[in-house]
Amino acid sequence: MGEWRLYGIFALMFFATWLTRGAFLLAGERVRLPAGMQRFLRFAPAAALGALIAPELVGGTGQPLDFLSPRLVAAAAVVLVVLRWRNPWVPFLAGMGVLLALQHLGR
Amino acid sequence: MSALRMGLREGVGEILVFSLGLVPWAIATGIAMRASGLSIGESLAMNVLVFAATAQLGTLPLLVSEAPVWLILATAAILNLRFVIYSAAMAPAFHDQPWARRALGSYLLVDVVFLVQGPGLLQEQDAQRRWGRFLGAGLWCWGTWQIASLVGIVGASWVPEHWSLGFMGTIALLVLLVPMCRERVMLVTALAAGASALLLRDLPLRTGVIAAVIVGLVAGYLFERRQQGVAREQ
Repeated sequence: MGEWRLYGIFALMFFATWLTRGAFLLAGERVRLPAGMQRFLRFAPAAALGALIAPELVGGTGQPLDFLSPRLVAAAAVVLVVLRWRNPWVPFLAGMGVLLALQHLGR
Repeated sequence: MSALRMGLREGVGEILVFSLGLVPWAIATGIAMRASGLSIGESLAMNVLVFAATAQLGTLPLLVSEAPVWLILATAAILNLRFVIYSAAMAPAFHDQPWARRALGSYLLVDVVFLVQGPGLLQEQDAQRRWGRFLGAGLWCWGTWQIASLVGIVGASWVPEHWSLGFMGTIALLVLLVPMCRERVMLVTALAAGASALLLRDLPLRTGVIAAVIVGLVAGYLFERRQQGVAREQ
């Protein structure tokens, strides 16, 4: 059963992502999103991304917080690079480069 | 040439340059799925079924830690909430299409298609040509995405584990977040959610994530109200 668990979850996730994307396409023009709701939903991506990224950088479930972790330093490099260059490859190269360099030095 | 085929050709042309931006993202997503421990088959299934990079990358830590299914689904839906706004904006372009096309369109709607075509598509009067344009752009992005992530999914096998390639997923999420935070209220929202996620990281079943998202939403809402209050007084 464990083998198929993930496939089952992916099938359910299909509906979760399909229905959010399709919300108003599927309903046709009968339903409109109220303006107040639209303003609130605007914050959802930033909130979700912040909540997911922070533990990856500083310390997740069961881990101590580490504000000098190599991941956090690498993330700072990514932020600088994203603000400066539009090339989509640079952040990945910079982030992985800094992370691997720090891990190498630490060893 | 039929209106549909004309639209298809037009749609691919419109999206071509922008679809290149998907490539590094797709490769990173492919690698991150494998680095989290998904098999090649599982990664492919997730890529085709879920087809939403942010939801895929964001739920990987939850999938790995065997978080409850409802939390995984709720996180995927929250990460996709921006599409509710997109789909509200796109709905007029689909109102005269049959249900099957609206259903397929919902699956194919991704950020880049909305950002490139969104406003222009509504101007197109011919329903066949309008559907063709969307379908052309959507299918092109789908194909680009699937092929590029396949490179990451298969390529990840040859990279040694201590290279921490899973971090590519975190980088991809950061690349999405940083431009949003040029708007002050989004920065406040993200910081509030991030700080709460750290404080609440030991809540059972990883429910801290959802609690932190709610804190972020409320912080953003309050900050925007204060900003507007200040603007009114001046």
